[in-house]
Amino acid sequence: MDKEEILLKVEHMSKRFGITKALDDVSLELQKGQILGLIGENGSGKSTLTSIIAAIQSADVGEMYLEGKPYKPASSADANDQGICMILQEKGTFDMLTVANNIFIGKEELFIHYGFLNKKEMIAEAQKALNKIQAIHIDAAAALGSLNFEDRKLVEVARAMQSQPKILIVDETTTALSRNGREVLYGIMESMKNEGKSIIFISHDLDEIMEVCDTLMVLRDGVYIDTIEEGDFSPAVIRKLMVGREISDNYYRTDTKSCKSKEVVFSMEHISCKEVKDVSFELHKGEILGFGGLGDCGMHILGNVAFGLTEPDIGKVKAGTGDVITSPKAAMKHRIAYISKNRDQETLMLSSSIKDNICIASYPKIQKGPFILCSDETTFVEEWSKDLKIKMQNANQYVMELSGGNKQKVALAKWLGYGAEIFIFDCPTRGIDIGVKSNIYQLMFQLKEEGKSIIMISEELTEIIGMSDRVIILKEGKISGEFNREEQLSETRLIDYMV
Amino acid sequence: MPEQIVTADRMQGIKDKRGKFDFRTIFPFLGLLFVLILFGIMTKGSLFSKLNLKAVLNDGIYVMIGTVGFLFLFAQGALDFSVGANMATSCAVAAIAANSIGPGAALPAALLTGTAIGIINGLVYTKLRISAFITTLSGMFILQGLVLVILDGSVLAAPISMLKWFTNPLKLTILMAVLIIGYIMFQYTPYGKICKSIGSCPEAVRQTGINLDFYRAIPFVTMGLLVGMLAFLSLIRTGSATNNTGGTLMFNVLNAALLGGLPMSGGPTTKFRGAIVGSLTIAFLVSGMTIMGIETTDQQIVKGIVFLIAIGISFDRKNMKIIK
Repeated sequence: MDKEEILLKVEHMSKRFGITKALDDVSLELQKGQILGLIGENGSGKSTLTSIIAAIQSADVGEMYLEGKPYKPASSADANDQGICMILQEKGTFDMLTVANNIFIGKEELFIHYGFLNKKEMIAEAQKALNKIQAIHIDAAAALGSLNFEDRKLVEVARAMQSQPKILIVDETTTALSRNGREVLYGIMESMKNEGKSIIFISHDLDEIMEVCDTLMVLRDGVYIDTIEEGDFSPAVIRKLMVGREISDNYYRTDTKSCKSKEVVFSMEHISCKEVKDVSFELHKGEILGFGGLGDCGMHILGNVAFGLTEPDIGKVKAGTGDVITSPKAAMKHRIAYISKNRDQETLMLSSSIKDNICIASYPKIQKGPFILCSDETTFVEEWSKDLKIKMQNANQYVMELSGGNKQKVALAKWLGYGAEIFIFDCPTRGIDIGVKSNIYQLMFQLKEEGKSIIMISEELTEIIGMSDRVIILKEGKISGEFNREEQLSETRLIDYMV
Repeated sequence: MPEQIVTADRMQGIKDKRGKFDFRTIFPFLGLLFVLILFGIMTKGSLFSKLNLKAVLNDGIYVMIGTVGFLFLFAQGALDFSVGANMATSCAVAAIAANSIGPGAALPAALLTGTAIGIINGLVYTKLRISAFITTLSGMFILQGLVLVILDGSVLAAPISMLKWFTNPLKLTILMAVLIIGYIMFQYTPYGKICKSIGSCPEAVRQTGINLDFYRAIPFVTMGLLVGMLAFLSLIRTGSATNNTGGTLMFNVLNAALLGGLPMSGGPTTKFRGAIVGSLTIAFLVSGMTIMGIETTDQQIVKGIVFLIAIGISFDRKNMKIIK
């Protein structure tokens, strides 16, 4: 590399989503010909930072400079014109359009002559762009929807490269690509680097990121942690920087013993379903069983299967009695409860009252003959919301007016009132701020003490370690490790089994 | 501390909202009052004469019973466009039964036909997973064609003796029974509550172990049963079945629901009183216009305009970015 020349400079960038700080005073310098890797856990602010650079979102505070000049993109198209392109983590293409339309979206005027779009010319140009990235097998005239996921990603790469960007942002793209596709992308990055252009690279794959990048920048909870140069790369160092946060006392349960009874109350036998491959486990009475792994390791599907919401391709879900569970109704008959990761969309009825949300599972219990009386509903709600200390005006308040923590408590009250004995919590503290989080942890521990069993699925390793009697780690749909609760159980040890 | 402040702010916001005068909640009552006063003045009070009130009942009974049946669909955010055509079909079948078997067969024939069509609607909607809109719209066209085939394109008269059955006690008994049973079912049984919950969030209902398909199909069946009842009433009122029978039912019921302030998306804000107020408004509007001698064709223009006004006022369009 020549004398360092700074291509992009980001200064004191901050961004809030409600009460969550997604980015807190983060600065960044990107040199010409540099491949900068961004790493951090889920929710550490990587995608937020890059999407602000690509003008998909805007920052609350902070300045950006492109080649020394202030850079204030008005839109992602504007950022594109100024030479910054991003390949998104999520799908950023349109299924109903052709490949060529996708590649030249927003740039159709290039091919408009006398008011008419020259489709032939557009398709020819698109094919050239595809050939350039060695995606010769993709037909530019085909409908995008007919391509597989990998090829769609390659179309996105072609679209980004076609505008000859100075900075290319690659956000978790490689997970969708096969070895071949990855090599193509690495090749593109290498040649951009040689031309003095720069890349910001995000990936969960540590080996990949160490191989590809010149410099790594670590983010944690939206805060800049450290920068590591190529010579100092080591998995141990990187992991420590990624997750090394202090766990305060009394936040989680304080005992360090794994305790549970021998009685099996729930089990899965050789379950395969979508990503999940041949998973078997037993849940004991009074046990908190934590499931951890990367977001796409299949643990969320496992929660769905456990409650009978999704039918497994192979295998059986069984209650303690040995009965097979095939539907939510059957699961509920065995006192199993489920709270989805997408609580607001799947577990709660936001535009209904607290009363309706808590009572709906227990109508057979509340009703007298065929009728449900208002007063009985109110008594029921009072009985089950009292201990949880739900902050509400009255039982008729709409659930959408509550905070995340109180919403979670409403969902909990619904199942407590139903008389659930086995709880499946998928991301129980998602979108809940720290004060209320500890509240939820206390409740979980209390349930355990009462002899109830919990399956806790979470993307936050700290809470899994902090709360579980036993931890199962999934990797690519398979169980890759199982650990009992003990003092020495550390995040770094678990991450080894995750990636 | 910050959390408490946030909560306090939120609480204040809610209180502000509650305290503020919400026009939409009283709009249905204002609408009814407006119609009553307007036609009261224009007919110089004769709208409220005994004879005319009887006419209001004769027209209103269809709208009111229809709207009560519609309420359970509306609560889920679903619609049934086939009610009018169902009524014509059920009426035609009832007329045939009355002529071939005997007048006593008319009621069972009407109820069975109406219910059967409701069951088909419900099954197509839930089992074939075709939206309620498409299901019932196609149903409407199919049934309209079917009626022409059954009646051979003409009018089928029922035995004259049946006209005597259309008495005030009968009408009032049926109306009151439907209103009372409907009210209790809607407000005080799991069925009504689950209908409203489905309008709020179907996935949450499914994840509570409730048989979603069953509760989605049943309102079509009860709607069909009530339409069968209306078909019978129509037969003993007019003494005949034609392809025009029930022609205004669909639009009147939809209009009543909207004038009653029922949200088209369904959910817990769907109120029974809205259905009553809305259908009374339509009943008085139609009778008022009839008393003033406005032609049925012209009435349609007025109803169309009223429909637009009802939608304009009752929808919160501030949050709507795109018109679908």
